[in-house]
Amino acid sequence: MTVSAHNIVKHFGAFTALDDVSLEAQPGEFLALLGPSGSGKTTLLRIMAGLEFPDSGSICFDGVDVSTRPTRERAVGFVFQHYALFRHMTVAENVGFGLTVKPRAERPDAAAIRTRVNELLSLVQLGHLGDRYPSQLSGGQRQRVALARALAVNPNILLLDEPFGALDAKVRKDLRRWLREVHQTMKLTSVFVTHDQEEALDLADRVVVMNHGVIEQVDTPDAVYNRPASAFVCDFLGNANKLDCTITGGAIEIGGHRIENTAPPAADGRGIAFIRPHEFDVAADGQPGVAVTLRRLTRTGPMAALDCQTSAGALIEVTTLEPPAGLLPGAALTLVPRRVRAYAA
Amino acid sequence: MSRSTSTTEPGWMRWLLIALALGFLLLNLALPLAAVFFEAFRKGWDAYVAGIIEPDAIAAMKLTLLVAAIAVPVNIVFGISAAWAITKFEFRFKSLLITLIDLPFSVSPVVSGLVYVLVFGLQGWLGPWLREHDVQIIFAVPGIVLATMFVTFPFVARELIPLMQEQGREDEEAAISLGANGWQTFTRVTLPNIRWGLLYGVLLCNARAMGEFGAVSVVSGHIRGLTNTMPLHIEILYNEYNFVAAFAVATLLAGLALVTLALKTLLEWRYRDQLHVGGH
Repeated sequence: MTVSAHNIVKHFGAFTALDDVSLEAQPGEFLALLGPSGSGKTTLLRIMAGLEFPDSGSICFDGVDVSTRPTRERAVGFVFQHYALFRHMTVAENVGFGLTVKPRAERPDAAAIRTRVNELLSLVQLGHLGDRYPSQLSGGQRQRVALARALAVNPNILLLDEPFGALDAKVRKDLRRWLREVHQTMKLTSVFVTHDQEEALDLADRVVVMNHGVIEQVDTPDAVYNRPASAFVCDFLGNANKLDCTITGGAIEIGGHRIENTAPPAADGRGIAFIRPHEFDVAADGQPGVAVTLRRLTRTGPMAALDCQTSAGALIEVTTLEPPAGLLPGAALTLVPRRVRAYAA
Repeated sequence: MSRSTSTTEPGWMRWLLIALALGFLLLNLALPLAAVFFEAFRKGWDAYVAGIIEPDAIAAMKLTLLVAAIAVPVNIVFGISAAWAITKFEFRFKSLLITLIDLPFSVSPVVSGLVYVLVFGLQGWLGPWLREHDVQIIFAVPGIVLATMFVTFPFVARELIPLMQEQGREDEEAAISLGANGWQTFTRVTLPNIRWGLLYGVLLCNARAMGEFGAVSVVSGHIRGLTNTMPLHIEILYNEYNFVAAFAVATLLAGLALVTLALKTLLEWRYRDQLHVGGH
């Protein structure tokens, strides 16, 4: 099912949560809403679900305006960050809840509900835990129960609000992989909210980067990472060094070092250059490049991290596989950026 | 004994504090309670039973049960509605409503009773209209019910509001996203989530409804066999120097208090995580 938002505006008192946001999720697509807290991503998701109503704008499912439909008539599967499992019901009762509250005419009989619940529990690999209560499960298991419960009613779309936010790193990674597989088998249009860029890039077909209630960029994970449309996207996705620079005729100058062919093209004048830590070559002092002093060298795993400082006082973080041998703090070095993204300041 | 932390008091100080607290409890709580039972049985079992099965005493018990049977359910409905409105919706004057709910705790019960006399009494604002329509509220059962409702107003709401605030709206949102309607959401999700807290509030509300003296005394008129609740009946018997009968009826209220206390402790012990045990 195609899900689209058109010109959504939402205020909470004086705070503008969403400022004229439009978006479309294609049938079967897995879309990530990514942004810092307060960017409006959760509000947009809740508006899609009908848990919140926009001040203006509309939500369409397959072209049909559902803006005025209450949540229970939209048939959306919603997964909450803190699971929101019904604590007084067993896992099986939780999963079957959506079926048991259907109007009598549409309600499947007890045996059919049991079959469907068992089917879903084996989909989320919890077939043996149907009689347990939520408090007896781990966080990862609870979130899988919540997903099974949302899928039980055959929703039009699946909406997930920071689904892995309350889990520890290891479980998060496993569950992520598993959710991706579930999505591939179900082919259900899904939208999930996250503030974790790694999660968004790893899971989504397309990433929607949001900031201050507006969409900064909608693109594939590869494109938002490698071709960020704005300084915000570049800064938010992946670690980058931010350096003041001067832009003239498409070339930039940092600390006396001139670099041609930057992307994207930026207007002449003062700008900010973003260079990721691994996009530097480390050369000996005196080579053409940005002259810096080494402050600290640490090695964690295969990469060495170098904390450097320019003569102007700016700090630069560099990671490299092969640092020059025998480096000590205080050594003079030259950094040669291989790739620079510059935006007008 | 070695001193494990710097805040540990010397041994004699600890014993002194414990003895002081226990002595105070014994003198102020245990002793009077024992006195009630001792006085009630002073003239033997037959005199005790006679005091309880006397027609006026039976009438007082019936009235007390009736008042509680009306006031407690009304407070349950009010308490749940108020807690629901305050925790699930945003609206203006919300904090004013919360303050108003607490009003009966801060007003003297006698004042609560007088307010009703002022509004519904013969000389009160609505007095002439009520007399014309032959409705008697003051010095009759309706007045007693109203005064009791006023005094017990906060118990259920005060227990539920913090509990429901803590639980948030996610469970309800999950239920409606799964297709449940408002009533299904309330009975199958909200009510089970608050059941122990609700029971706790009802318990306290009932104890107060049955034991209330001040507000009820003002509006009752003390008509024997008609408008005397148990606490008022006890007072009349006591004033008539009928100590055995007075204390006999008092043992019933004391018994109610002990049962309430036991159930309350049981709830607190068993369902501590699902209650908001506030400062009543």
